[in-house]
Amino acid sequence: MTEAVNAAPYGRDRRPFLRRLASASEPYLYSAPALILIVTVMLVPLVIGISYAFRDITLLDPFSGGFIGLDHFRALAKDKTFWQALKNTVYWTGYSVALQFCLGLILALLLDKPFRGRGLAQALCFLPWAVPSFLSGLNWAMLFNPIVGPIPHWLFGLGLMDAPDNLLSSPDHAMWGPIIANVWWGIPFFAITLLAALQSIPRDLYEAAAIDGATPFQRFRSITLPFLAPTIAITVMLRTVWIANFADLIVVMTNGGPADRTQIVASYIFTTAFRRLDFGYASAIAMVLLALLLVYSMLIVLLRQTLLRER
Amino acid sequence: MASIDIKDVRKAYGSVKILHGVDLTIQDGEFVVLVGPSGCGKSTLLRMIAGLEDISAGEIKIGGKRVNELDPKDRDIAMVFQSYALYPHMTVAGNMSYSLRLRKTAKEKIASAISGAAEKLSLTPLMERRPKALSGGQRQRVAMGRAIVRSPKAFLFDEPLSNLDARLREHMRGEIKKLHQDLGATSIYVTHDQIEAMTLADRIVAMNAGIVQQVGSPLDLYDRPANLFVAGFMGSPAMNMFEGTYRATDGAPRVELGQGVTVALAGPASTADGARVTLGIRPEHVVVGKNEPESIPAQIDLVEPTGFGTILHANAFGSDVKAFSLERGLAARGDTVSVSFPVERIHLFDTTTGSRIG
Repeated sequence: MTEAVNAAPYGRDRRPFLRRLASASEPYLYSAPALILIVTVMLVPLVIGISYAFRDITLLDPFSGGFIGLDHFRALAKDKTFWQALKNTVYWTGYSVALQFCLGLILALLLDKPFRGRGLAQALCFLPWAVPSFLSGLNWAMLFNPIVGPIPHWLFGLGLMDAPDNLLSSPDHAMWGPIIANVWWGIPFFAITLLAALQSIPRDLYEAAAIDGATPFQRFRSITLPFLAPTIAITVMLRTVWIANFADLIVVMTNGGPADRTQIVASYIFTTAFRRLDFGYASAIAMVLLALLLVYSMLIVLLRQTLLRER
Repeated sequence: MASIDIKDVRKAYGSVKILHGVDLTIQDGEFVVLVGPSGCGKSTLLRMIAGLEDISAGEIKIGGKRVNELDPKDRDIAMVFQSYALYPHMTVAGNMSYSLRLRKTAKEKIASAISGAAEKLSLTPLMERRPKALSGGQRQRVAMGRAIVRSPKAFLFDEPLSNLDARLREHMRGEIKKLHQDLGATSIYVTHDQIEAMTLADRIVAMNAGIVQQVGSPLDLYDRPANLFVAGFMGSPAMNMFEGTYRATDGAPRVELGQGVTVALAGPASTADGARVTLGIRPEHVVVGKNEPESIPAQIDLVEPTGFGTILHANAFGSDVKAFSLERGLAARGDTVSVSFPVERIHLFDTTTGSRIG
C-alpha cells in the first residue's frame, strides 16, 4: 500500500521499470498459488468435462471422440429414462429436504431448551452425520431386507404392509427406502446449523414478548422464524443442491431399480458414465443438472439477500 | 396503576439461595429503586415480579391480587430491559404496537395509543424505522414507548440506562423522572448506580447478598445509613470508615482511633464501653485546615481535582482520610494540615454486626 502512496499522483511515474513491474504484479503473485490450484484441479477438469458433452466419448469404442455438436442433447430430450429420473430427482430431493428440515428444526428447538444431560444428547444426536453415507446405505438396506432386517416385519405387524416384503423392491414405494435413510443421515446437519442460529437469538426478546402477551407459538413466529430465515434459506439451498447430486444411498440401496423407479439424475449420470462407460452422454446430462441447480441457487441467494436486508 | 405487595419472597436455585426473604410494600404511583452491587438479587426480584422467574417461596401481589402462578402477560406489567430487547424485524411503530395487536385491540385505538406515546417521547419522525437504524438513546426511548402504550399497572425497569454513555444517561434519567411525574405510574427500577437511585427514587431499597439492608427516602439512606453496607454503598466519594474502640467512662462518650487520637461523640452510643466500633464520616463533612481543639494532624498524600471540587487524601493516625471540598487550592501534596470531624456528622456502627449504633 505504501508503494501506491509513493507513486507520483500526476505525470510520469519516475520509479525504475522493475520496481513498477514488481508493485503492479504484487496482487497477482499473492493470489497465484490459490488460483493455479483452482485452475488445475477444478476449472480444467470442468472445461474438459463440458467439452465431453459435445463429443462422442465411449470408453470401449476406440474410434469415438469426434465432435458431434448437440446430438447428445437431442437424444436427451427424447430419453424417457432421463425424464423419469428428473421427476424422481424432484421427488427424492423435495421429500428428503422437507423432512430433514422439519425434523432438524424440531430437534434444534428441543436441544435449545436447557435440560439435564443436554451435552450428551447433543453429541448423540449429531452422530449420524459422522457415519459414512455408504455405510449408512448398507445398514438401511439390511434393515429393509425381510430376511435380516426388522422393518418389514414391523410394518406388517402395524398393518401398513400386506406381507413382510422388501420395501426396496416395491415399484411404488422403493424411493422411500433411500429417502428414509437420507433423512436419518441428514437431520443432524439442519439440527446443528439451526441450533447455532437459535442460540444467537437474545433471550431478552423472548422475555419481552412474553410480557407483551405473545403465546409460545406467536413468539416462535415473530421472533424465532425471522431470526432463522436467512440461515434456513442458505441451509435449504445447500442441502437441496447436495441431495440432488447425492447418489450414494440410491446406488448402494437400490442401484436405481426396480425398473429405474428410484433412478435420479445423479445416479443416472453415474450409471451412464461408469456402467455403460458413455462419458459423452453422461456429461451432457450433468450439464443439464448443473444448469437447473444454478438457476435454483440464484433464486435462493436473491431470497436470502431480501431477508437479510429486512433485519 | 396498582400497589405491589411482596411478602417474605425467597429465591433459590437448588441449594444456592439468592433471596433470603424480602418484604416490601410499594404504594400506588410510587417510584421505588432497588439498588445494590452485582449479584445482590435485585434483578432476580424484579424478574420475579415480572413473572420471568419462579417464586421459590413467599407471595407477590399486584393490585391486591396474588400473581405467583400468573404468566407474565397476565400480570399487566411492562418491562424495560437493559438491552432494550426491541424486535429487530419490526419498525418502531411495530415494536410499540405489538402488545396491543396481540390483544386484538381496535386499529384506531392502537393508532392513537402509539401516536400519543411517540409524541411524549419525541419518536414521531422515527416511526417507520427499524431498531438497527436508531441510536442508543432512541432505542431506549422506543423501549419506554413500548412499555407506556399499554398503560399497565406497573413499570419495571432493569438497569435501563447502563448501555448509554454518561451524558445520555444523565439526560434519559431526567426523561424517566419526567415521564413518571406525567403518568404517575407505579414503577420499580433496578440499578447499581447510586446516583440514579438517589435522583429518581421516591424510596430506595438497598440490597446486598439477597437481603434488604435498608428501605427509605434517598436522603434518609444518605444521612442515616442503617448499617456499614449502606453507608459504604451510598455516596461518592465513599464514606470514610475508621475502626476504633468505644469509650464511655466519665460521661464523655468518645472513640479511640489509635496513635493516641480520640474523637468525641455527640451522645452516648448503644453499646458497651470497650466495644469495637466503626466510625464513619462523609468526605464532604471532614473539615480541613482549621486549628480547632479537636483537630488531628494529617499529611496530604494525593490531591484529585474534579473541577466541581477537590478530593484530598490525607494520612492521619495511620489511616487514609478522604476530604471533599468545594474550595480549590486548599492544600498541595506533602502539606501538613489538620483535619477534624464535626460531632453532628459522625456515624457510628458496631464493627462486628455492622449495624448503626449512634
